[in-house]
Amino acid sequence: MTQLGRIYLLAILIFLYTPILVMMAMGFNESQLYELPFSFSTRWYVALMDNQQLLKAGMNSIIIAVITAVISTCLGTMASIALSRRTFRGKSLLQLLLLPPIAIPWLITGTAMLVFFYWSGIGRGMHALLIGHVALAIPYVVLVVGTGFSTIRADLEEAAMSLGSTPIHAFFAVTLPLLFPSILGAALFAFAVSLDQFVISYFLATPGYSTLPVQIYSAIRKGFTPEINAISTLLLLGSMAAILIFARFAKPGDVRDKR
Amino acid sequence: MRSDAILNDAARGSSDPRQRRPIPAWVATTALLLPTYGWLTLAVLLPLLTMFVFSFMSATPMGKTPIVFTLKHYRAFIDQPYLINIAWTSLVIGFWTTLLCAVFGFLAAVALARATVGRMRETLLVLLLLPFWTNGLVRVFSWTMVLRENGFLDGVVDMVLPDIGSISFLYTRYAVVLGLVHGYLPYMILTCYIALSTIDDAIIEAAASLGARWWTILLRILLPLAAPGLISGAVLTFVPVIGSFMEPRILGGKVGVTMGTVIEDQFTQAFNWPLGAALSFTLLAVVLAIFATFSGVLRRGTTA
Amino acid sequence: MTNVNVNSVAKTYGTTPVLTDISTDFPEGSFTSLLGPSGSGKTTLLRIIAGFIRPDEGIVSIGGRDVTHVPVWGRNIGMMFQSYALFPHMTIAQNVAFGLGRRGIHGAEARKQVDAALEMVHLPGFADRMPKQLSGGQQQRVALARAMVIKPSVLLLDEPLSALDRRLRQEMQVELLRIQRESGLTTIFVTHDQEEALTLSDKVAILDKGRIVQIGDPETVYEKPLTRFAAEFLGDSNFLKGKVESGAVRLADGTVVHAAGTLPADGAQATLAVRPEKMFVAKDPSPGNRLTARITTVIYAGQALSYILETADGMQVKLFAQNRDGNVLKQGETVVLGWSADHTVAVAD
Repeated sequence: MTQLGRIYLLAILIFLYTPILVMMAMGFNESQLYELPFSFSTRWYVALMDNQQLLKAGMNSIIIAVITAVISTCLGTMASIALSRRTFRGKSLLQLLLLPPIAIPWLITGTAMLVFFYWSGIGRGMHALLIGHVALAIPYVVLVVGTGFSTIRADLEEAAMSLGSTPIHAFFAVTLPLLFPSILGAALFAFAVSLDQFVISYFLATPGYSTLPVQIYSAIRKGFTPEINAISTLLLLGSMAAILIFARFAKPGDVRDKR
Repeated sequence: MRSDAILNDAARGSSDPRQRRPIPAWVATTALLLPTYGWLTLAVLLPLLTMFVFSFMSATPMGKTPIVFTLKHYRAFIDQPYLINIAWTSLVIGFWTTLLCAVFGFLAAVALARATVGRMRETLLVLLLLPFWTNGLVRVFSWTMVLRENGFLDGVVDMVLPDIGSISFLYTRYAVVLGLVHGYLPYMILTCYIALSTIDDAIIEAAASLGARWWTILLRILLPLAAPGLISGAVLTFVPVIGSFMEPRILGGKVGVTMGTVIEDQFTQAFNWPLGAALSFTLLAVVLAIFATFSGVLRRGTTA
Repeated sequence: MTNVNVNSVAKTYGTTPVLTDISTDFPEGSFTSLLGPSGSGKTTLLRIIAGFIRPDEGIVSIGGRDVTHVPVWGRNIGMMFQSYALFPHMTIAQNVAFGLGRRGIHGAEARKQVDAALEMVHLPGFADRMPKQLSGGQQQRVALARAMVIKPSVLLLDEPLSALDRRLRQEMQVELLRIQRESGLTTIFVTHDQEEALTLSDKVAILDKGRIVQIGDPETVYEKPLTRFAAEFLGDSNFLKGKVESGAVRLADGTVVHAAGTLPADGAQATLAVRPEKMFVAKDPSPGNRLTARITTVIYAGQALSYILETADGMQVKLFAQNRDGNVLKQGETVVLGWSADHTVAVAD
């Protein structure tokens, strides 16, 4: 039984990774039309270096992801402190309000943002993308930091206060150092969420300012070359790295510890 | 006692500098929450509200055209019957994607929980979940590499059975479902695994000691106990799938017309924003109805 | 002068009163246990004294100073928590030095005091370890050192031993008592373990539904419970109900029982409490109370024997006996129970 289970898992992994690996391999294939047999070449990566449009979009993506990570981590951590450590009326409603950005299909959220930003004069472009990305990342930050909070007993702060700490000192001396891995994990997570975000960006980007996924989408629809494989490979490796580092900090595999 | 109290009252507010009154709790709580909820209001709640208003407008407000309110966009399903077919397509795609994810995801979670231990399990879990957190668009694009004519799949088939010719099924609904299953399977594995990991080994040992064979254990014990995870996984797969548009576009080609692509068209091609808004809200109503139906299970499933 | 005084303290959550009009004094150097079932308000009272909870009414003073409106961090208390609450990211030395740092004591002086505190709890040489590397009992010793090193006015203990296993708990009880006696620190100890309360304290306060139903030295509280709840919660008790008749109580089956202390007026209903271990099987006529009953259950536990008996009119009575001669009474036997009037106390219902 154990053997069968492991073979099955291996099959699932093959299913999950085959297309990704094929896509990556094609970025190193000489043929423009993805023709086999495979002949190794880095020409598409070289071509990529000259593709100002993709490079600029890639840069935009990284800048937006970094700013999103910073803002959403600050805001989300603050909210998480209140939601995890304080009791007040309407708390469950506020927790419920974190769900729409995660649970409502991004198509709906994205088109709603487009309509509102147009109507209110906020418009589209970088600032609009930032508003959208931060809103999408905040709930994840609150969840990740909140999970971190739940592993820190509330009586640690009480112990600090009994020893003479004010609540603010107790937070900075005891809670924050213990929370730091979760906060760092949340920031990485927010970075990955923003870097991979396509749907919202798609509706809020302008011809002059777009992100990598938006450029990739339009390239796919217009007819693509292995350059797209090359840049996609880089994008995948980037977000996989962010998530793997996140996994080191927040240990999402240790599900049973999340109490 | 009384006189003591009065004396102490007089002594109150004495020189101890640490005796300052703390900031009222509600001020601190509000200050902590305001930035997040202000941001969410600006970026999510107000947009949804605005779109709701837009869905009643007769046309996209451009220039000085007077705004007329109407219910006609909500009658679109009656006025334009082809929309019913498209909605049906979306539901069918959603159904098959969810079903396939549920079957393969549940079994994978069982295999993960019962056939692996320790570091191997942790590594496998990370590997299984990793694709979920990478770019969905790129993953869909990857499938075109596999499924296209003379793509990877044809190459493999040609090596094994040289005479069969191309079995490429890119630009079919099967391709769309396959791409969506690829996208949401990791999530289903995670929710099922969370549910399964809380099951006490002793329960399974008890069942085995009572003579249950492995399929009995799977169907009569693991499946019911993992049901909350299975259901929340199903909801969280079905909902985004019926709102998907890039997967049908890229993998479905001409047959990939779904509610998602129709809505996208209203905003990017047809510029009929009110119709797009009304269709979005109809979709949102379906989504909310699903969430409401399964809210109890979801709450347990997501807090596990 | 570091007594703790609580005067007319009350606390209500929503509409549920948690504490009602608590007034009591914890004298300097005393060791008082707050004993009660969960929900009795004992933890709330401790947390009000600590300053984590502000009472709706009443005054808390420590060493004569009214601290009702002083926050926790200004009260100079030492506190031990059920979970130890050691800071997991700090070494043992840093944990113990935490409170010193808040009092402006750093460097060599702090190090000296930390070492002395660790010496006191028999953990010298543990200074540079992390809490995770210590056993539960050791962690609790560190918590005690951390609470004591700041020379608090009062030591507050919130079920600090309940997470330890039985052997360790007994060891820690001895340790705690020694350190408390040496330091002469006023100590308030919340527990639901009655044995622990009796062993450790100078005074036991029994709480029920937000009130102190009885407070006194362990012997008095055990031997002379004031209420049925106190008699039942602390130890085990038989209750005999009857009507007061010329200074004694006549039970329903006609038996007349004499009691120590004052009884209600003649004609009133009264409940008498008798500890099961105070009863014995009366072989020959001797002075004292008598009750005839039939044995329904025999519980044999080696050194001790418990019997459950039933009188003719269906009243249940428990009897505890030492297994002194190996003669175990049989189920179904009818015996005469005897006990002294001195061990019979009228309790309020």
